[in-house]
Amino acid sequence: MKQVTIERSKVMSGLDSALKPRLKRRSTFEYVSWVVCILVGIGILSSVATNPNFKWDVVAKYFTHESILRGLMLTIFLTVASMALGTLLGLGLAIMRASTIKPIAALAGVYITIFRGTPVLVQLIFWFNLSALYPNLSIGIPFTDIGTAIDTNALMGPITAALVGLTLNEAAYMAEIIRGGFSSVGKGQIEAADSLGMSGAMKMRKVIIPQAMPSIIPATGNQVIGMFKGTSLVSVLGVAELLQSAQLIYARTYETIPLLIVASLWYLVMTMLLSYPQSKLEQKYSHTSVRVPRRARKVTLTAPEGIAR
Amino acid sequence: MNADGTIHAHKIRKSFGPKTVLKDVDLTIASGEICCIIGPSGSGKSTLLRCINGLETVDSGILKVNGDDFGYYETDTAYHALPPKQLALQRTRVGMVFQSFNLFPNMTARENVMAGPVLVKRADKKQSAKQAQELLTSVGLGAFGDRYPAELSGGQQQRVAIARSLAMNPEIILFDEPTSALDPEKVGEVLNVMQDLARKGMTMVVVTHEMGFAREVADSLIFMDEGNVVERGDAREVLTNPKEPRTQAFLKQVL
Repeated sequence: MKQVTIERSKVMSGLDSALKPRLKRRSTFEYVSWVVCILVGIGILSSVATNPNFKWDVVAKYFTHESILRGLMLTIFLTVASMALGTLLGLGLAIMRASTIKPIAALAGVYITIFRGTPVLVQLIFWFNLSALYPNLSIGIPFTDIGTAIDTNALMGPITAALVGLTLNEAAYMAEIIRGGFSSVGKGQIEAADSLGMSGAMKMRKVIIPQAMPSIIPATGNQVIGMFKGTSLVSVLGVAELLQSAQLIYARTYETIPLLIVASLWYLVMTMLLSYPQSKLEQKYSHTSVRVPRRARKVTLTAPEGIAR
Repeated sequence: MNADGTIHAHKIRKSFGPKTVLKDVDLTIASGEICCIIGPSGSGKSTLLRCINGLETVDSGILKVNGDDFGYYETDTAYHALPPKQLALQRTRVGMVFQSFNLFPNMTARENVMAGPVLVKRADKKQSAKQAQELLTSVGLGAFGDRYPAELSGGQQQRVAIARSLAMNPEIILFDEPTSALDPEKVGEVLNVMQDLARKGMTMVVVTHEMGFAREVADSLIFMDEGNVVERGDAREVLTNPKEPRTQAFLKQVL
């Protein structure tokens, strides 16, 4: 009976049953979701394209406008500078946090708590208004007359305040990311370095940091992307970065939405460009992944090969 | 540096919280002696080994390695911890081979072997590379220098780890269950390398479950249980003719 059905199916398709492709099951839900998504997509697109209030011609006009591009450059500068400085400071904080000397670890802990626990926006405004707290900053030797005083307002211009605010905030987040990376390095690695007589700094540089990289890099990539968008906050200080540049234009022309779209498109393009090197870096560090030795098996306690003779 | 290679311990005590792991342990190992430490798990044998290389600090007692107080210097009233640099210097004279190999995964086999001389002793890179190649060849891995640990089998990794310890030219080398994490068929290659080493006159202290190795290679054998050295003596003598009832019970179980 069975034999017969197999024979018949062969005849039906004219193809050897063993060579037929195996098709994935597609649920009704899948078909429905395709249809719904396409319809919604068409709806949104046609609305965006036909609504004259979007003013795509204005978007196109300002997309490469000089002051927008200058704003973009400043945004890139702020991102790179505060990210680089923040990472360095964060590394220092992470090392301090891991210190066996209690006050040093506590100091880093307090810093991280404060800077992660308050909004960046508040921190930025705070640094900008530092002169209210300390009208003059002086550099010199304490309890002597040697040194010079600087007017805080002159020192803390908008860009400096932006840089200081973003860097100090970023350092707290980077410290936590780096510390997490450190703790992912196995205890055995540190013992191996110790048993070779490596100094603390050497151990950090050659053993801990390289192995912590695979877990630090992806998180740092996210931070860069976050920072790129986060720089828009410094527009409140009047720094003419990307968003502020757009705002300055629409304050004049009242073309608010088109200019916000210009800024958004640039943010989008840049974050998409940034995610490429991040994935490359991730690949680069993947070869250092630690191979964990298999758990000890029950070993039969007989004379092993090559030993008994 | 004076070659010594002796270990002398007297009344070593070590506790982890409320648990006393080493209870007044005495130990004397001569230069060039091959000593195996056996015992049930939790008997304190690994802790004793780790104390000898400073991975654990002893709470009290005398511990002299290579003739010097290890990790501390003695005054009339107390032992004071050595500054890190001097402790590191003492550690370079005591090699350690771990159960889980602990090779640096970010370095190739050759770089692992060179790590000690180049990074710690500031030795010449070219010379160290040459020495590393010789050491890798001596453990049968001359062609594997450019491989990363993840590309090596457990037995190969452990042999690289032995070569890494040897690169520092230590007077003493400690093995903490070097074959316990290996597949059974890889145990032999590691034990062979250790046996070669034993012929070269280096002091070796081996925590092991390999009774065959203990019988064939070791000069002396220590049986530990519950933080005490229960029995010690000539390896073959203890294995074939144990005096203490606890040793007899243990050996009956494992042999």
